[in-house]
Amino acid sequence: MLEGLFALIIMGGVWLGFNQINWMQLFGVKEMTDKTEQKLGDLLWDFQKRTGEILDDEPGKEALDSLVWRICEKNKLDSSHFKVHLFNTGDVNAFAMPGGHLVVFTGLLQKTENASELAGVLAHEMAHIENNHVMNKLLKEFGLAVLVSMAGGSGGQQVAEVLRMLSSSAFDRSLEKEADEYAVHYLEKARINPESFAVFMDEMAKEEPDELKHFRWITTHPDSKERAQNIRAHIRSKKRSYQEPLSESLWQDLKALGE
Amino acid sequence: MIERSTFYYTPDDHERERASNSYLMSLIAIIGGVPLPIMNLIATLIFWMGNRKSTYFVRWHCTQALLSQLSMLMINSTGFWWTVSIVFTEQEITNEYLAYLAFAFVFNLVEFISTILLAIRTRKGIHSELWFFGSLTHDLVRP
Repeated sequence: MLEGLFALIIMGGVWLGFNQINWMQLFGVKEMTDKTEQKLGDLLWDFQKRTGEILDDEPGKEALDSLVWRICEKNKLDSSHFKVHLFNTGDVNAFAMPGGHLVVFTGLLQKTENASELAGVLAHEMAHIENNHVMNKLLKEFGLAVLVSMAGGSGGQQVAEVLRMLSSSAFDRSLEKEADEYAVHYLEKARINPESFAVFMDEMAKEEPDELKHFRWITTHPDSKERAQNIRAHIRSKKRSYQEPLSESLWQDLKALGE
Repeated sequence: MIERSTFYYTPDDHERERASNSYLMSLIAIIGGVPLPIMNLIATLIFWMGNRKSTYFVRWHCTQALLSQLSMLMINSTGFWWTVSIVFTEQEITNEYLAYLAFAFVFNLVEFISTILLAIRTRKGIHSELWFFGSLTHDLVRP
């Protein structure tokens, strides 16, 4: 009995001792994971590029970059990590991809009333990227083995499937909530009014089908009204003075890109 | 880790061979290309069941081999399912996981070397007892 207890103590001690070694650094796991994410992101973006018109080189697109840059600068985020792309399609959508790719559809530019609303959506997607929600979601849905094989260049069918999932489905309730809360924080630090983000979610809620509202408790994704309430609940400095992040002319130039 | 002691009778050559084979069974499972954690145990368990009515020396060593494999089953199963959860679910590779793999590797290596030593010694008729498992075997196996 005493020998058994002693054996367990030794085993526990060995494991605890091994835990003190930084194996992640020793085997370069972080670098490998980052490289895989980067490859996967580039692969997905290459695929997405082929499905429509990209407006990344249009003069007005700089305004979109400046919004992201402003949020990054005020929140001490690495702006080089975010690669913002503008895609010419009428869908009201923006989504994050692995490797820091952030895709914005021109339909979203048309739907938002001002640059602060757009900044809210961008901050939300940036929060998904910063908190590694994108890779976690892909790992949950597809598993590490599939993602590594995709990053290695095989599985064309799955690339389309991953892209469809990233662009069309939300994250689960807790991750969307977390991203909204981070977005409010980012916006406040960047002196952009987070109330505009909540207003935009209210607008989106008006377009959600009524049937869905009755089944809110069984859906895994939060609806827009609930999200708007959550955003408002997390606004800390209501009396703070905010600035419109883009001048009216720059905003109009940006909006004109999708027309 | 391995203690040499005197058995209360001198086993004959046939007994030594059978007792030695009980240790070799787990090694055969590894060499045979079945690294699933349960395979070593199944191989040893089958051999143990086949020798339940054998002589005390054979039964004693079959039981010690089985018990030592049971401990490895627990360590390897944890590592196996942890790995499966990383490959197929949203679990991430963490420092704790890598530390566990290193820990499991060291214990497997120690177990592997001990098993070879025990197989050789038992074949020579030298009665050897593993630390902890030896005492446990004495409690479970009666002459």
